[in-house]
Amino acid sequence: MAKSPTRSDHPPIQHLQTVVDVLETPALARIYAHILDDGPVTVADIVKDLDAPQGTAYDYVEKLETAGLVEKVGGKRPYEYDADPVSITLTTDGASRTITPALIAAVARREDDGDVDTYVDRHGLDSLARALDYAVEYVDGEVNSRIAARELDISPLEAEIVLQALEPIAEAYAVDE
Amino acid sequence: MRTAYVADTGVFVRCGGPDNEKFQRLRTAVRRADVTLTVPRRVYEELGGDPAVDEYPSGDIPASTGFEEGWIGVAEELDYANPLVSTVMDDACRVIASETGRDEDCIEKADTALVGLAAQLLDGGEAETVVLLTTDKPAGRAAERLLPEHGFDGGSNTGTSDDRIWKP
Repeated sequence: MAKSPTRSDHPPIQHLQTVVDVLETPALARIYAHILDDGPVTVADIVKDLDAPQGTAYDYVEKLETAGLVEKVGGKRPYEYDADPVSITLTTDGASRTITPALIAAVARREDDGDVDTYVDRHGLDSLARALDYAVEYVDGEVNSRIAARELDISPLEAEIVLQALEPIAEAYAVDE
Repeated sequence: MRTAYVADTGVFVRCGGPDNEKFQRLRTAVRRADVTLTVPRRVYEELGGDPAVDEYPSGDIPASTGFEEGWIGVAEELDYANPLVSTVMDDACRVIASETGRDEDCIEKADTALVGLAAQLLDGGEAETVVLLTTDKPAGRAAERLLPEHGFDGGSNTGTSDDRIWKP
């Protein structure tokens, strides 16, 4: 007889749907990245630190909590939230991509950095993820913008712009991954 | 003593548009020192070669302003017939391939233009000292390794990893 799967408060598909929302919504990504980097934090901290609208901050934190991406810690009001680093690996037709905190931080950066935003508009999220891989190598001196340009099929100038835009994220997350 | 300042594409991206403080500081420093930033022809082509980058906030690279104002200049064509220049560029191709874990076939002549220009300026006596300004670390390391091998002293850092100096 087939065994029922273990019940979880955070069903995997709902978790994945929220991760997709995070990737598609830079403001949501920014809140998740902030909780991950600076948590535990209260919603009031988030509103203040990110200069985010209060209603949006409450809605987004609730959404992240429902999907299990963040959780309440402590248990005393005002609640503090913390997050575990996300790691979801998707495989399609042999191509594989892991959604990492660094990728979510790169999406979050669309809010503050027009270069990252333009890159995603022009080339999409898969290309952003690839560019982030190159940015890590670029910071380490293992690639330059000219080689990255040829392999990403963009111009050397565009490669230099996006690699420099992603440099702070590559530096910040290099130790973690 | 004549010093040549050779600048790469990444330097202009780093400095941003004319309203950016970094750009203004670069212009002031270059003018105050009464020097010209020299760019390899390839870099000149890279800076103006992709109209699509106009969509990027950082795509507004004011290099053209620098060229018009005279503090950025385009270097002469690389002289591939000069055995020193062609040897240094071939060697740089090997170093960059090794540093980046790529096949040598994946490295193009354009990638070695910076090192080639430094060798050409030193060899032709146009400069007694060359300062390379680049964000291209593999090419920078190629210059550090190869120029001394060809009799040019140096490779000394001036404080940031992006600046390298050579003397004959």
